[in-house]
Amino acid sequence: MTERQNLISLLRREGYDHVPVEFNLCPHLEKVYKEETHSLRSYRSYFKMPWESVGGLIYLPADKKRFDKYHTAENLANRDFSIDDDGVGHKKTSTSMHMTQMFCPLANADSLEQIDEYPLSELDELKSFKALKAAVKLTHLKGLAAVGNMQCTVWENAWYIRGMENLMMDMMCEDPMAEHLLDKVTDRSLKRAVAYAKAGVDILFLGDDIGMQNSIMMSKELYCTWLKPRLKKIISAAKAVNPNLIVFYHSCGFVTPFIPHLIEAGVDVLNPVQPECMNFEEIHEAYGDKISFNGTIGTQSTMPFGTPADVRKEVEKNLKIAGDKGGLFVSPTHLLEPEVPWENILAYVDACRHFCG
Amino acid sequence: MSTLEELSTFLQQGRVPKVKELTLKALEEGIDPKTVLEEGLLSGMSVIGEKFKNNEVFVPEVLIAARAMNAGAQILKPYLTEAGVTEIGTVVLGTVKGDLHDIGKNLVKMMMEGKGLKVIDLGVDVPGEKFIEAAKENDAKIIACSTLLTTTMHEMKNVVDLAKNSGMDVKVMIGGAPVTQSFCDSIGADCYTPDAASAADVAADFCR
Repeated sequence: MTERQNLISLLRREGYDHVPVEFNLCPHLEKVYKEETHSLRSYRSYFKMPWESVGGLIYLPADKKRFDKYHTAENLANRDFSIDDDGVGHKKTSTSMHMTQMFCPLANADSLEQIDEYPLSELDELKSFKALKAAVKLTHLKGLAAVGNMQCTVWENAWYIRGMENLMMDMMCEDPMAEHLLDKVTDRSLKRAVAYAKAGVDILFLGDDIGMQNSIMMSKELYCTWLKPRLKKIISAAKAVNPNLIVFYHSCGFVTPFIPHLIEAGVDVLNPVQPECMNFEEIHEAYGDKISFNGTIGTQSTMPFGTPADVRKEVEKNLKIAGDKGGLFVSPTHLLEPEVPWENILAYVDACRHFCG
Repeated sequence: MSTLEELSTFLQQGRVPKVKELTLKALEEGIDPKTVLEEGLLSGMSVIGEKFKNNEVFVPEVLIAARAMNAGAQILKPYLTEAGVTEIGTVVLGTVKGDLHDIGKNLVKMMMEGKGLKVIDLGVDVPGEKFIEAAKENDAKIIACSTLLTTTMHEMKNVVDLAKNSGMDVKVMIGGAPVTQSFCDSIGADCYTPDAASAADVAADFCR
């Protein structure tokens, strides 16, 4: 079995040959990786990770000057300020490592016209398709699964543009501004998803944070009215192109009450199942025959603060819960930050490599 | 239903025009401004806070209730000033140095204001020294620190140590996704709360 075949079989709960590994390192830990291994290869290749993101899509127009009017002169003059493809501003600070402070371009919008006129980038479908098709082919030649990564799909795209608090209040008041903005980002995300599906990716990785640490971010009613139908529309369009597409969905935090809705929307794999927020055993018992899981090893707990033995124990426990058909692509829940000991990362890899059920 | 009960109910529903109308009506009826604040506005936010703690309402409901409370409070402000009514205490609030996350912090601010506290919001990426300076300047009774990252949790210990060495009579409260009671104990902070509404309850108790 290639890494690709093994991963797909595991995710479909059809058994697996070996336990695949997956994690993401922050820039500091990438340096540690190089010092520890003296390898010239990427850490993803070194640890034989089974999948590869096939790269970004191409947007039009490329010129971001059109977003300047949505940002302050002070920010625009700052060397550490930049604007992304959606017009959202990002400012680095001296202490914020790889993270940035976000500036929402429509935070002060108060009319529907401002929403409708907002110059969101359009997907260059032709150029994107050619680039994606070539990337998918290359990934498959390496024996890896190809992933279309669009983890901000509807809710987060819209909240980054409008501001979370504003958008939530627009939704609560049934303000048409919320509907128009969510539709605008949904239309573009649908095109992104279809482009990935047409290019032949194995996995489409969607996501919008809808959980807090101990509770859901919004009521089920609000979620089902505003977000679920839009997510379902995107997934249905992508699966119409390729019914075998495996759809991942990411949300941080506690999302247990949303799981049946995500399944109905067409999600196949839930990521990251934070153990500090959700009980994997209970969730697996309730939904393990309908959805698979990715994550479950805590980056707020075991990875930074546990011992290597704790890491091994958690990996083995969760793989045993999932059973011999698979259904759990076990991995740390989030990016590994500087305080995670290198020994714990090796312990995770070792526990996966030597797991024998 | 009395005007104040009606005011509290509309506030819980986030109905800004109704809250404005009923705040004015209560004042016209001759109700003491402090009573309008406590039994109309703050009582409504208190119900929302309890429901939030019990997972009966979520962030969007809190946001619209807080917006309605602010609309009512704006109308009341001159009357409260004239009557010499002040907040029950001052809290200096911020996300610690190195961390730019502010959703949790903003919720804490809303809930604390809903308990009648004055909140000085220092924003995100706040160095320890700035918390102490702001607490001194504003005669704050509480410093409240937030973080989402395991990487920046240790900054909270810095704030606790600076507060202890400052000689001020100030409590340090901590919260945020990775923070736990045992972490709070290990750094000697005065209080950890798991959610914004509980943080506001404890802060109000500290100030009484």
